[in-house]
Amino acid sequence: MIVAGIDIGSRAAKAVVLNDGSIISSVICDTGPESVKTSYRTIEAALNGTGLSLDDIQYSVATGYGRVLVPFANENVSEISCHARGINWYSSSVRTILDMGGQDCKAINCDANGRVTNFIMNDKCAGGTGRFLEMIAEVLNIPLEEIGDLALESKTAIPFNTICAVFAKSEAISFLRQGVAKRDILAGLNEAIATRCLNLLRRISLEKEFSITGGIAKNKGMVAKLKEAVGLEPLLAEDPQIIGALGAALFAEERCKGIGTREELKVHYGYTDGTGDYFITIDTARCDGCGECVPACPSGIFEMVGDDNGQPKAKVKEAVRKKLAFLCPGFHSCSRNHEVNCHSVCQQDAISHTW
Amino acid sequence: MKALGIDVGSLTTKAVILDDDGILASSIVSSGDEAELSAKAALEQTLNQAGLSFDDNLYIISTGVGGKSISFSQQQKALTTCLARGSHYLFPSVRMTIEMGAESSTIIKVNERGRLSDWANQDKCAAGSGIFLQQMAKLMEMSLADMAQLSFKAKSKADISSTCAVFAESEVISHVHRDPPTPREEIVAGIYFSVVSRIMSLCKRVGIEKDVAVTGGVALNSGLVRILEEEIGFGVMVPDIPQIAAALGAALVARENIEKGIK
Repeated sequence: MIVAGIDIGSRAAKAVVLNDGSIISSVICDTGPESVKTSYRTIEAALNGTGLSLDDIQYSVATGYGRVLVPFANENVSEISCHARGINWYSSSVRTILDMGGQDCKAINCDANGRVTNFIMNDKCAGGTGRFLEMIAEVLNIPLEEIGDLALESKTAIPFNTICAVFAKSEAISFLRQGVAKRDILAGLNEAIATRCLNLLRRISLEKEFSITGGIAKNKGMVAKLKEAVGLEPLLAEDPQIIGALGAALFAEERCKGIGTREELKVHYGYTDGTGDYFITIDTARCDGCGECVPACPSGIFEMVGDDNGQPKAKVKEAVRKKLAFLCPGFHSCSRNHEVNCHSVCQQDAISHTW
Repeated sequence: MKALGIDVGSLTTKAVILDDDGILASSIVSSGDEAELSAKAALEQTLNQAGLSFDDNLYIISTGVGGKSISFSQQQKALTTCLARGSHYLFPSVRMTIEMGAESSTIIKVNERGRLSDWANQDKCAAGSGIFLQQMAKLMEMSLADMAQLSFKAKSKADISSTCAVFAESEVISHVHRDPPTPREEIVAGIYFSVVSRIMSLCKRVGIEKDVAVTGGVALNSGLVRILEEEIGFGVMVPDIPQIAAALGAALVARENIEKGIK
């Protein structure tokens, strides 16, 4: 069984191809300006040399910030779920994940099955992201791949006053002019970033089994400072950057096998009583959070609530769940009396009724 | 004895000489890596203008981010104190001054005697700073003055987040490359608005009070000041040379010290 996971991140696109549960190919490409083209380029690169073509892939799941722009993907899953699932494949003991990506940083808690139990994300500030390190590497005129090793050589880290990418850059320039060694500047920045990550980790529960994923996890200098700040030895995957794509591929495999199918992503609201089943089902994978159903429902039973990943999703209001059949006449009678209802406005066809 | 104020900022260093009648001379030079050298350069230029020399009897007060490391100043004062003094001198009715500098924004409140009563400051993040505006001007390939002119034509504003200067840059790029591209004036208005919303949140922390003066290099952007006025709900006052308000304040404190005989 061939399945694929593709992770379109803000700076890099990753793909993993699985054959019966083992990785047969993985690839990391740059993210271009057009996500659709990037997604084809990435999957083709991953299939290159495997003798397979896009048609051979039975199911594919897309994740990452560009996940909605992957035309060949059967489904989208948030990168938070994918990172948890991906790291679980390497080590089911991991409970805390720090995902350091190109433009954001996330702290995630997961259980033994790789399911997300808690997470927090910082995507509002470039301080401490991959983008930040790229900027610094450019200022110091060192290839990005080498900054980690160079920082490791430092004995005295220069303390930085700020984590702001713009200010840190000008601070770094002025240190350079003063003749401070590049390795000490890098070590100082890594220290500042590590402190910030620790703050993020403290907001979820920081458990002993701790892993770092994302591109920055490949930066040895950064990992060393994180280890120092957190006080824990991180369990690192062979290639921490592909964990999101791997998680997506694992989701694809499950879907193929029919375990944890899309049905799991459907939320049923309602009850069964002597007269029949009264359930409204919302397919959260399909719901795009447009909010149209809220005003469309003549009985006003819907509301928009952020899900675990902060995405708005339609839900049936808590207060009406136990008296659903009294408020909602059911799909057929509602359609007879009202031209506009939840079914007619939902472009994604995410809402269904049992009656 | 002549009263001198030097404000060593992160981008420029300002100096002001006062005599009994008012400002005798002032100058603005760009700040280098060493505060001492920048302060000297500004000082020399101002002294030249006033026809004075370093050997004359001077009373110097330094302020600003680099104000502490000036060896030849008699005293160092906090920026907030100097700003309060300077803005009260410029506009006696002022109760609140918004200082928008290159790397920091400072809001102060002053009482009717020109004394500082409250303040708030932001210098940890580049969003909403003068450096941010400069970067955006570079990105748009325009001068800051052209940007200000263009912004007056905007009918609406592009959506640009106000939380991070780096991410805002990518947002501006995507506005430029959008099909059809967002009109440049709307992008500029969006950039200004993102700065103003940062400033407004800082203002709200101390509570907005009339009259309001706007100082610092960013105040030279007339387009931005207009958007600030719209948000704040009334007109604000901008001095002729908004950058020197704090240096002027420092010189005023120096003059008081001379009068009081403080060494």
